Amino acid sequence: MKRNDFKKRVASFFRIGGTGAYLVSLVAFLFLFAITGTVMASGSEGGGGAGGLNPLNWKTDLAVWTAVVFLVLVFVLSFFAFRPIANALDAREQAMHDRVAAAEKANADARALLEQYQKKLEGSEKEVREMLEAAKADAEKAANAIVEKAKDAASNEHKRALHEIETATEVALQELASKSADLATSLAGKILKEKIDPSRHSMLINGAIQQFTKN
Amino acid sequence: MSSELINLEELGGHVSDGTSYHLPHYFHHLPDLPVVNIFGYDLQITKFMVIEVVVALLMIFLFVPLAIKIRTGKPLKGRFFNLLEVFLLYLRDEVIRPSIGKNAGKFVPFLWTMFFFILFCNLAGLIPWFGGSPTGSLSVTAVLALSTFLVVIGSGMKKYGIIGFWIGQVPKMDLPGPMGIILKPMLFVIEVIGLFIKHTVLAVRLLANMFAGHLVLAVFLAFIAGAAQILIIWIGVTFASVFMSVALSCLELFVAFLQAYIFTFLSALFIGMAQHQH
Repeated sequence: MKRNDFKKRVASFFRIGGTGAYLVSLVAFLFLFAITGTVMASGSEGGGGAGGLNPLNWKTDLAVWTAVVFLVLVFVLSFFAFRPIANALDAREQAMHDRVAAAEKANADARALLEQYQKKLEGSEKEVREMLEAAKADAEKAANAIVEKAKDAASNEHKRALHEIETATEVALQELASKSADLATSLAGKILKEKIDPSRHSMLINGAIQQFTKN
Repeated sequence: MSSELINLEELGGHVSDGTSYHLPHYFHHLPDLPVVNIFGYDLQITKFMVIEVVVALLMIFLFVPLAIKIRTGKPLKGRFFNLLEVFLLYLRDEVIRPSIGKNAGKFVPFLWTMFFFILFCNLAGLIPWFGGSPTGSLSVTAVLALSTFLVVIGSGMKKYGIIGFWIGQVPKMDLPGPMGIILKPMLFVIEVIGLFIKHTVLAVRLLANMFAGHLVLAVFLAFIAGAAQILIIWIGVTFASVFMSVALSCLELFVAFLQAYIFTFLSALFIGMAQHQH
């Protein structure tokens, strides 16, 4: 049991992450820095022929100054500028992503709705066509009925008119017969009253005919 | 003859660190930088120290307002802040994230600081009479490379444990027993030496680029003084030198950005390698 504990502790020591790792690397950094500085300083002192022209001239002051300035800058900018900027950029990206997704969804919805409406519209068109056809058929039927009725009425009128004409002709004929009989009777009476010679006879007849035609 | 006129000491003074500013004759000579006594140690303030502080303050004045402006989450207004944001986004999305992967977020502030510190130090060398580029000194680049080294081994040991990180430097291989016993320590030594060399080269690359660029510029301008004896030659050389200096300054401008990018990219790569062992 104890042995296991020890093993775990050793293992955890070797696996330490987080600040421990950076602490170790910071120590390594300082160590390397010191080594580089010493080596460089001794090297440039030995071969300082070209003086200011030698780019490998090591200046510990400048190196320490650079390290301080740069590390302070990294921390200051990370805290006050770059982390907020990175977060804002991420937030903006996320917002854009969301907006695009929302727009895509809205588009899909609209498309589905459009399809639905189109289907409905197609259905209603068919309905309207059917209704129109039915109405047309109805109207034709009604028109036919009206025409039929009118034809009936016309033929009835025609028949009635014919009948009236026939009746009128009959009446006229009867009148003619009675008038001609009257005329014949009155003519006969006149003939009987007067002496009749042949010329007078024909004159009388002619007069009667004229009168008849006049009548 | 010309060796009298082109004084290498004097030329070096324009390129490397110093305690006084070189201004044209007709300006009053500024007094030399002071010696400050810190806890009994006499610290000679130099031009590079001043530039570093100026760069640090400039970065604080640039990025703290940006952080305040961006906090609302709305898109930034103004060309300048958008320009800064483009830099930050490019570094994060194209350099840091692909190199480090999932845990990139933790290292983004450090690498952003690294990039802009190096960039502004590089660019300081292109400002006349400002005093040169601090990144042209090994004392500066070594510290920057050591900082990367600190983050690399610190983050690696945090993830894999202090011992585990160093053991993990040996790539996993299927070696038969005795071979492994012989080869693995040798591989360990090689890998650890490689780790140190990578970071040393990081420092030297930046130093060499900045120093060489400024030195070439200075030498081209020194030709003018070298040719001062004969008027006709002097006129020709002056025109050629000035033209070349302008062209090289443009190149330097590019190199200033490139080296800052490379340093940041390699730092991100090394951190990424420490985060994902073989």
